[in-house]
Amino acid sequence: MDNQIEKDIVESVLAKLLEQGILNPSAKPTQEAANQNTMDTDCEPVTLEPMDFIGVENPHNPEALKMMRKSTPARILMGRAGARQRTASLLNFQADHAAAVDAVFKDVSDAFLAEHNLFKVKTIVKDKDEYLMKPELGKKLSEETKREILDKGEKGKQVQIIVVDGLSSTSIEANIADVMPALIQGLETQGITVAKPFFIQYGRVGVMDDVAPLVACDVIVEFIGERPGLITADSMSAYMAYRPDHNTVEAERTVISNIHRGGTPPAEAGAHLATVVKKMIDNKVSGVKLAELMR
Amino acid sequence: MNLRSKINNQIFTFKSVTDVLAKANNEKSGDALVGLAAETATERVAAKLCLSKLQLKDIYENPVIPYEEDEVTRIIYDDVNTAIYKKICNWSVSELREYILSSKSGQNELLNISRGLTSEMIAAVAKLMSSMDLVYASKKIKVAGHCNTTIGLPGTLSFRNQPNHPTDDVEGVLASLKEGLSFGCGDAVLGLNPVEDNVENFERVMMAIVGVKEKYEIPTQCCILAHITTQMQAAKNGIPVDLMFQSIAGTESANTAFGISASMLQEAREIALKLGTSTGPNVMYFETGQGSEISLDCHHGVDEMTLEARTYGVGRRYSPFMVNNVSGFIGPETIYTGKEVLRADLEDLFMGKLHGLPMGIAPCYTNHMKADQDDQEMGTMLCAMAGANFFMGVSGGDDCMLNYQDTSFHDDASIREILNLRPAPEFEKWLEKMGIMENGRLTDRAGDPSIFDK
Amino acid sequence: MGTSNLQIIQSVGIDIGTSTTQFVVSRLTVKNVAPGSLVPRFAITDKEVTYKSDIHFTPIDSNNRVDADKIFALIRSEFNRAGVSPETIDTGAVIITGETAKKENARSISAKVAGFAGDFVVATAGGKLESIIAGKGSGASDLSRRDYTTVANIDIGGGTANVGIFKNGKALDSCCINVGGRLLQVDQATGRVIAVSEPMKSILDDCDLGLAVGDLVTLEILGRICRRMSMVILECLGTGQLSPLAEQLLMTAPLRLDYDIDTVMVSGGVADHVYAPCPSMTLAHATQYGDIGPLFGMELANLFQARTVPMARPTETIRATVIGAGAQTVDVSGSTILADDEVLPFKNVPVAIPFSDTIPRDETTIAKGVTRSIENFYEKDSLDKIAIGLTGTQYLSFKEIQVLARGLLKGLAPIIQAGFPVIIVLEADIGKVLGQSMKAINSRMNIVCVDQLLVTEGDYVDIGKSIAGGTVVPVVIKSLVFETKQI
Repeated sequence: MDNQIEKDIVESVLAKLLEQGILNPSAKPTQEAANQNTMDTDCEPVTLEPMDFIGVENPHNPEALKMMRKSTPARILMGRAGARQRTASLLNFQADHAAAVDAVFKDVSDAFLAEHNLFKVKTIVKDKDEYLMKPELGKKLSEETKREILDKGEKGKQVQIIVVDGLSSTSIEANIADVMPALIQGLETQGITVAKPFFIQYGRVGVMDDVAPLVACDVIVEFIGERPGLITADSMSAYMAYRPDHNTVEAERTVISNIHRGGTPPAEAGAHLATVVKKMIDNKVSGVKLAELMR
Repeated sequence: MNLRSKINNQIFTFKSVTDVLAKANNEKSGDALVGLAAETATERVAAKLCLSKLQLKDIYENPVIPYEEDEVTRIIYDDVNTAIYKKICNWSVSELREYILSSKSGQNELLNISRGLTSEMIAAVAKLMSSMDLVYASKKIKVAGHCNTTIGLPGTLSFRNQPNHPTDDVEGVLASLKEGLSFGCGDAVLGLNPVEDNVENFERVMMAIVGVKEKYEIPTQCCILAHITTQMQAAKNGIPVDLMFQSIAGTESANTAFGISASMLQEAREIALKLGTSTGPNVMYFETGQGSEISLDCHHGVDEMTLEARTYGVGRRYSPFMVNNVSGFIGPETIYTGKEVLRADLEDLFMGKLHGLPMGIAPCYTNHMKADQDDQEMGTMLCAMAGANFFMGVSGGDDCMLNYQDTSFHDDASIREILNLRPAPEFEKWLEKMGIMENGRLTDRAGDPSIFDK
Repeated sequence: MGTSNLQIIQSVGIDIGTSTTQFVVSRLTVKNVAPGSLVPRFAITDKEVTYKSDIHFTPIDSNNRVDADKIFALIRSEFNRAGVSPETIDTGAVIITGETAKKENARSISAKVAGFAGDFVVATAGGKLESIIAGKGSGASDLSRRDYTTVANIDIGGGTANVGIFKNGKALDSCCINVGGRLLQVDQATGRVIAVSEPMKSILDDCDLGLAVGDLVTLEILGRICRRMSMVILECLGTGQLSPLAEQLLMTAPLRLDYDIDTVMVSGGVADHVYAPCPSMTLAHATQYGDIGPLFGMELANLFQARTVPMARPTETIRATVIGAGAQTVDVSGSTILADDEVLPFKNVPVAIPFSDTIPRDETTIAKGVTRSIENFYEKDSLDKIAIGLTGTQYLSFKEIQVLARGLLKGLAPIIQAGFPVIIVLEADIGKVLGQSMKAINSRMNIVCVDQLLVTEGDYVDIGKSIAGGTVVPVVIKSLVFETKQI
């Protein structure tokens, strides 16, 4: 038989099998793939094992392992190959580390900023390496940048929201769309005025001390990417302070961390933050003092 | 004292012993951050050259932070054995290096001169050593400690089982703890970093961990790594405390920032001995790391490696059971790349050992450093070769609470197999009893935390 | 942050059973368990029983009915002895169990007792609810969770043995058997039978014993009866075939037994004699309470030992049910919610589940589903409070939450117009943002939008006034699955 006839027969048989539902359309015969020696783009791409995969072989009490799996995000129950990790968990680790590294070293995209109507300014940091190795610089704005903020932003509102990349650009892109409108809705229904939010590249938490006096707000809410772990690279914090300036110490800031889908969902976090900001405005304090007042 | 050196017709002049020490340090981002680092590769070697010719008494007579101004300096100087110091004070740093490396010098000889060395001298000699020098010298010294069990015996390698959980959830903590035990990890200590640092939480998680230890009769020690004041209060409240943990640093101001002082450490040790639950005599557990003083802005113009040595000078006063180095944890502003971490780990292991300390290492990294798992594993293998007493053990190598990567239960078991090292003897017997280990090898049951239930 | 970190809830448990009536007061500590920088998460962290009453015999009147007036007086005196006034009680449960629940006037007891504090859960417990409450009170549920095992708790009282199966801390199965320590009453002084209950007649028939009131008994005869009852329990736990007697005495469907039981625990009045058996029991000892409870306990222990049934000790024996009732029924909501305190507390609000699967993504479908589910409960002209339960933890974006808010309000329009509050019970952690979104649309209505609670169709909920600075509300979810009857 020549190749063409063979191929035709194979194809017609396959078509019949598919039609009768005997063959799964996504499961392509390996024979054909091998013969053609080409990449089969119709195949579903291979994927990582889900993180709740239990890799322990012949477990003593499988039910106990299922309960343990739910009890912690730690990378337990992966099984072993000799004393080493199994392939699936090794690759999961590498993928999660890659996501964490990308979260740190990538920038928040201009398209994202445009979509959320955030104008962009920068601290005095010149690049990512300097940002990471010289944390102090990420707290400072140049005079030129300050003028730009005054030019494009709003002065004298009660609340100024700033979005800062921090150590995870990924977390900003993952959460801002839900957390910011929820916060603004919560503030506005309580009659609190909100200035136009903007984005600061290469920023640290302390950059709020430069911004707040500039825009003359009562409370600043700073959304900033947290240092990513392997569990998630999407986690973001909200730091808040009542009229911060260069004399502000860390104990005067209020922080809500772990904002992401797997932690406090961003929309719910936004609603909660609105309540916290209201308390700050009412009591004219933030940080430890506010926490003590509420105790 | 000569503070000038010449390489390739270029003459370098250093301002002080402190300056020489700083510029002789291998590249670390923290030294650059505070403007102490050598500016060129040649300047670095010139500083090493200059340092090699300094006599130990030059270093002794020029403390990096004055005696009157700094408690750490006082601890170091007050603890020096003057008879031994007098014998070696005329040695150059180069001579000290060669004495350490000499085939005639073994553990006894090195621990003897150790008593006459200040921490700065130990830092100085480490700066003249290459990576393999550091491994070669470290391997000569292995100081054991005894709390409830002995770790650091020849031919053994122990691990801290570190079952951290993002909310201190007891069930989650115990799941990780049991998995670690099932890999043979936990002979150094069952030790949790709590999320919430207060006595109430301390009691809650400690009782859970002690419960497992007692239920399965595990020969080891338990520790909740809260602030030392929390642990002291817990012991006073009658909560079990085997070991007193504390992070320490190499300057008085950094220790103040940690909320501790020499007298507080002394008091904690006395409380552990009087009210604690362990056998002793070693009841302290310290953690250290290059760059913590820089992070806290308490470095006094001294390079991070010299300050790390001074930290060991503090540690040795309190006869600890274990000293763990976490240089890779501090952050990119002090250590940025995998190469910097590897170097720091080897330096720290050597410097700690030469202080006579029972040293372990956490070859670790955070996700905002330029380091990855390969660096981490190389660090682990090198430090194991160099005779570290212990490593950490974290499920899957990822600490889901502190958000950094450290040695995994798998790595721990692997390194024992690779280097034919055994657990602490009492613990190995227990592993055999539980069917987890036979003849120093994991059995088929190992790696399954559910063997402890039902 | 921004909230008080600790709150105490005072809870009462009252168990009115076949032979005994008990009363306990518990203090439940509600605490923020989230680390400092996280959004608060309140949970019940500690349950401490602060007062345990004596074990009273349940007062029976001359018609062999439970005497509601005496029970009322008994409870009132226990409040006094405990040194708490009913007004300071935040929550609690009155459970009417065993044979008592069968008695015709169980309902009148409930009505009387409920008068003490309006916020009580009052339930005439069927076997299922009682089994589960007893297993929680005995520690069986906790043991199964701690050791990842399947634990059978057998709570044996005067009239019934309630078997609750717990796996990994969750109630898995239950059954109720009509055996107990007081089915036969014997006078200790004379050794004569005082009373023979209906189920005991079947047991006697099965043993070929013809005992009647006034007959003299021997230890041997009573031993035969107790061994037979013990065997019935073992049969119901899946050891061999169910005998015709066991089938007859089962008051519920038998256990499914599609699981293996690892450990057995016994609670209830008989349990003390299971775990502290007396090797040389005399007839006088066996009948010390005027019944056969002590002997039943001993015979059960002997049988379990002979069959090598793995046993665990309960943390509570005779008080398991009352402690379970007092401390295990109340829960707290999620800690970011929206609750208008002026409409709280309320009790016995029926839950409607408009969407069995996922929440639809468009406003009209949501509104229609909500309207339909309200119509299932009420006629148009007789509307009352209703809670809309939304299950599932699918992720909802802010935009999707806006759609949901609009859909819910549209669907709830008749309820809102009739002047009732909007009550939403969510599983997903979106209570506050959904509540605020509804408020943003209509700021005048009252809203109770609570989350991190799982409800099912047919449940009733009690929601208390908010605690911990308005952060959480105490919630009692009463499921008909447990045969709880509402008053």
